[in-house]
This record gives sequence, C-alpha cells and structure tokens, in this order.
Amino acid sequence: MSITRRDFVATTATATIAATLPRRAFGIGRPDADPIRIGVIGCGGRGTGAARDALAASENVSIVALGDLFPDKLKSSREQFARMIADQPAMASRYQVTEERCFTGFDAIDKVLAADIDLAILATPPAFRAEHLTKAIAAGKHVFMEKPVAVDVATALQVIEASERAAQRNLAIVAGTQRRHDPRYIETIRRLHDGAIGEIIAGQVYWNQGGLWSHPRQPGWSDTEWQLRNWLYFSWLSGDHIVEQHVHNIDVANWVMGGEPVRALAFGGRQVRTSPDYGHIYDHFAVEYEYSDGRRVYSMCRQQDGTASKVGELFQGSRGSSNAYNRIDGPSAWQHPDVPGLNPYVEEHRALHASIRAGKPLNEGRRIAMSTLTAIMGRESAYTGQPVTMEELIASGLSILPPVVEFGDLPVPPVPMPGETRLDRNFDQGW
Amino acid sequence: MKLPLPVSLLVMAPLLAAQQPRVVVDSLPGLRMSWELIEVPGGPVVLDGDTVMVDTFLVGRTEVPWELYDIFYLRLDVPRGARDSVDARLRPSRPYGAPDRGFGHRGFPAISVTHGATTRFVTWLSSVTGNEYRVMTEAEWQRAADLAFPGGIVADSVAWTGEVSGGATRRIGSGKPDALGLHDLLGNADEWVTGRDSTPVLRGGSYLDSLVTPGTRRLQEPSWNQTDPQIPKSRWWLSDGPFAGFRIARKP
Repeated sequence: MSITRRDFVATTATATIAATLPRRAFGIGRPDADPIRIGVIGCGGRGTGAARDALAASENVSIVALGDLFPDKLKSSREQFARMIADQPAMASRYQVTEERCFTGFDAIDKVLAADIDLAILATPPAFRAEHLTKAIAAGKHVFMEKPVAVDVATALQVIEASERAAQRNLAIVAGTQRRHDPRYIETIRRLHDGAIGEIIAGQVYWNQGGLWSHPRQPGWSDTEWQLRNWLYFSWLSGDHIVEQHVHNIDVANWVMGGEPVRALAFGGRQVRTSPDYGHIYDHFAVEYEYSDGRRVYSMCRQQDGTASKVGELFQGSRGSSNAYNRIDGPSAWQHPDVPGLNPYVEEHRALHASIRAGKPLNEGRRIAMSTLTAIMGRESAYTGQPVTMEELIASGLSILPPVVEFGDLPVPPVPMPGETRLDRNFDQGW
Repeated sequence: MKLPLPVSLLVMAPLLAAQQPRVVVDSLPGLRMSWELIEVPGGPVVLDGDTVMVDTFLVGRTEVPWELYDIFYLRLDVPRGARDSVDARLRPSRPYGAPDRGFGHRGFPAISVTHGATTRFVTWLSSVTGNEYRVMTEAEWQRAADLAFPGGIVADSVAWTGEVSGGATRRIGSGKPDALGLHDLLGNADEWVTGRDSTPVLRGGSYLDSLVTPGTRRLQEPSWNQTDPQIPKSRWWLSDGPFAGFRIARKP
C-alpha cells in the first residue's frame, strides 16, 4: 500500500484523540433535540449524494466525518460539500467535517467509526460492505448502507449475521433500496397483497439500459487501484451488473411474491462491452426465478449502449395486473396520484432517522442480503450454465474476494464461461 | 395572443401565398444518418410584448431522435478504440439510469437532455456536417409556431399531449404535420430553445401536458434533476426531465 502513509500517521493520531472524547449516553430512542452525527465511508458520487440526502431528510442531523480509500475522492467530496454550503448557507452548521475528521486508506472505516458518530453511511464498492457493516455494528453505530450488500455467499451471510447482532443491540440498518421507502410502491404493493389483482400468478422485472462510466487506466495505477477505480466491472467488487443494479427490481419481485425464490435458471454473456477496460463482467442476463410454490418471475437486465431501455416491474394476477409502482389494471383498476416533490432517496433516510428517534430501529439487513443473494443466484446460474437452487448456492459458501486486498498486482479473473465456470470456484484456485 | 394588424398580415403572408416550404436534407453519410430541415421565412415575432425580427432559417422537421443523439453521446462517429479519448467536456457523460424512460429508442425523440447538452450537440453537428447548426432561439421557435399554427389555432390530433399519450413520447414524424410541415412542434417532447439573455427555455409542451398552445413555455426548475442520486448532479442529463428534448436550427 503506497498512498500517503504520512497522512495516515497524522490522521491516526487525531483519531485516537477523538476516540477518547466522552461519548454521549446511548439509550433507547433519541429526542429530536439530540443530534444524529453521521460519518460517511466511501465518498464517491453516491456516498456524497447519500450524505446530502441524509441532511435533506431531517433536522438536527449532521455530517461529521468522511472516509475514503483515495485522497482525490475525499477531496472532490469535500469540494461538493463546500459548494453545497455556498448554495445553502443554512447547511453550514450541519456540515462539521474538519481536516482532522477526514480519513483515507483501507482503514478509513476504523477512523470514521472512532470519530464520535452515531450513524455510518456505508457507500464503498459492495465488496467491502460486509466487513464494514460488521465493524459498524460492533462499534454500536446505526447504519445506512448502499445496495448491493454482498458479492458472494460468504459476504451475504456475514451481512445477515451482522444484522442479527444489530437487532440484539437495537441498532438500525437501512439499505439503499429506495423503492421500499417510496409511498407509491408501498401503497400499490399493499393493495396487491390485499388481493387487488386476485392471486398473484407471475411477474417480470427489468433493468435494461446503456453502459455506465469507466476510468481509463492511468500510469502509476497498480492492478488493484485500476480495479477499485473501475469497480463496476469486476465481479469480486460489484457482483456484476445483475447484482449491482438489477437487485432493485429483484428486491421488488421478492417483496411482491412474499419471499425469496428457491431456484434460478439463467443465461447471460459479454456480447458488446468486450474491451478489457470493462473487466470481466457480463453485459446481459436473463433469469427465470422459481418461488417455492412454483410461481415464476422472469428477470432481464442489460447494459448495452444505444439499446432501448426498460426499467421496472410487472405482475399478473388472476384478476388483473400491476406495475407494482403506481398502477393496478383490471376490475380493481386504480392509479396512485402523483406525489409532487417526492424524492425516495431522501425518504429512506427520513425513515431511518425517525426509527432511531422513536427507539424502534428499522433493520433491513437480512431482507437486502436475501435480495442480493437472489441476484447472485441468477448470476451464478448464468456463469455456470446450470440451474442453481438457493440451498445449493448457500451450501457452496461461494467466496470470490481476493484473500487480501492491498495495492499491488491483481490478475483479472477470466470472463465466466457457462459449461466451464464452477460454483465451487474461488479467487486462488481460479475460475 | 392578439397580434397588431400589420404583424398578423406579415405572419399570414406566406400561407396566403400557399408556398410549399423549401425542404433541405442533411446527412452523416458514413453513419447512414440523414434528416430533413424546413425553411422558415423570416419575419416579425412578438415575444414578451416586444416585436423582434427573425431572419429566414432552417428548422428540423422533427425533434432530434435518439439515433442521431446516440452518435454524439456514444461517440459512434469516432473509431471504437479512440472513443475514451474524446474530450469529456465536449460530449455527454454516461447517464444515471435510463434517459429514454423505456418509451422507445430508435425513432423516438431524444429526451432527458439539458440545454447545455443541446448546445454541445449543435457544435458537434456543425463540425461533422460543415453546416452552421444551432439550438433555436426562442424568437425562431415562436416564428415557426406562428406560421405552423396560423391564428394560434391548433387542430385536434396534431399535438401529442397528456390527453392521448398514455404517458410516453411517440415516434418522430408519426403524427400529422402542422401548416409548416413540422411534426410535434407542440407536444411529444418539450423543446429547448435559447431565450433572451441566453436563458434556457422549454417551448411547446410535452406528452405530459394536458393542454399545449403555441404560447406554452417553461423555465428550468431544480426538481428536474432531483433524483439524480450522484453528487455532483449531471450537467448533461435531467434525471427528472423526461419531457425535455430539442429541435435543431440552421442557417439557410
């Protein structure tokens, strides 16, 4: 690890001082007057955005510490906050990040957790979520964590374990699946569960769109740095796009169907986005998910430039159909009215803060871990070319993270090949 | 809008003469892409109570479709290996999510674009065609609307609005043309124009509006990018502006 070791020493010293400051007593519930102090781990576009959403969500919430692996990411995040304060001077008192409360490096998580915070926003690439969640819960912090929350079975099970510990300690966990906090989805799916379309028979879920950003490799970047800065394109970091992005729609499917599927039959491939700049992930998947009672949800996702997009969900019942979002068609036809000014990305933080203040902490950890595993099950069926059951997936213990993540040489795993790639692969023994 | 008598006579003149508007075709031959432009005769326009003169100009027969916008934004005019080295200040970044909103892609108007992106687009289009393209000025748009809808009367079924749209855009050129031969000047996608003092303005209304008239006009609001979850929010794309498209103008 080569980045600015001197900075580490300096920041470590201040973090130690901060950690020795007295912590406020932390009982059940928090009066509105008691501030919620937030630390952010992973200050890219989404982490910075999530912090802004948290500030917009409720009063008496402040950002007090920032951490990122890369100093340049931390710097640009701080610039964004400075711009926010210039635009909205009233926010100045709620952004309390000073030089001493900014941390870089792989251990930034430890420094942020020690910086007298109440709530951690975890927004690094998904590979680190399980470890960071485990640390945050052990440190007694409430958590907002971005989706997806795992890249393989090992990290998903770790998230479930940490979530159970959070429940025991009355700590809240909200995951960045904003549809769960969107009043339109909530009301529509409530009606579906009340029988608005009769028995729910089948569903289809989609996230088809163009490609996403990438950063061309710069001289001086190690393999690891290049992969981390392009984390979307490496299965061990992002889980592949079916996990990273399509998990939103798969989560809605599980919500409507009332649990996780037991089996996936899938295919996928790397058809258009074939340059090594895009790592080794696929650019399309199609999955048949089978639920325990035999009902099916068909899923498709694609990231190919210039193709027609389709993002959303559809469900058919014995007496009608619905998009699960704001509309029911059939004998009980209904449409949710527009909700002017609604931002579901803010609502999820509002719900989190309210649950902490009420002493009834939300805990979405297990649910998002299972939806993430559902996406992983589809991915693994496509990668291996075999049907994969949830039972055999979990039993496989699949772990695809490198044993140690540090700056240096790190080969790119091969593009998964159906018929060759195995569910019992791991980073060391190859794919 | 009631025009002073001499102005309304000038506005009506080309139609009274029943001239066929001149149609010009431009293309990107290597990319099998072409589009039609219609000549709009110059004349006076009343905007915010002031009368201004507009020179004769050419305007796109339809709103700019995705297949043309894709060449610009996906750098399809640049060899595959060199696309990443195109100056990032000149071409759009990748959008968050799906800017076409699932309404349809090829053959449908490019939407969710910012005014700034449209100005970069016309700069690019000018450089690749050698012709002088621009985003319409608001006066030009109004001149086209005055001639397209004489007397401000909009015939039923010309405009693709919320009454009929089912909440989505329609294929370019699929509806009835107006008196100038343009499609969807009203309805379908709202159209970015450059107003006085360079203010970005949307004209013509969209598939979301229940009523559109030649005077329909709106100014940008922060809510049009509200749910872009990334910070900084995009300068190129409107996460909550699926109505915002544009039409190109050119010197005759």
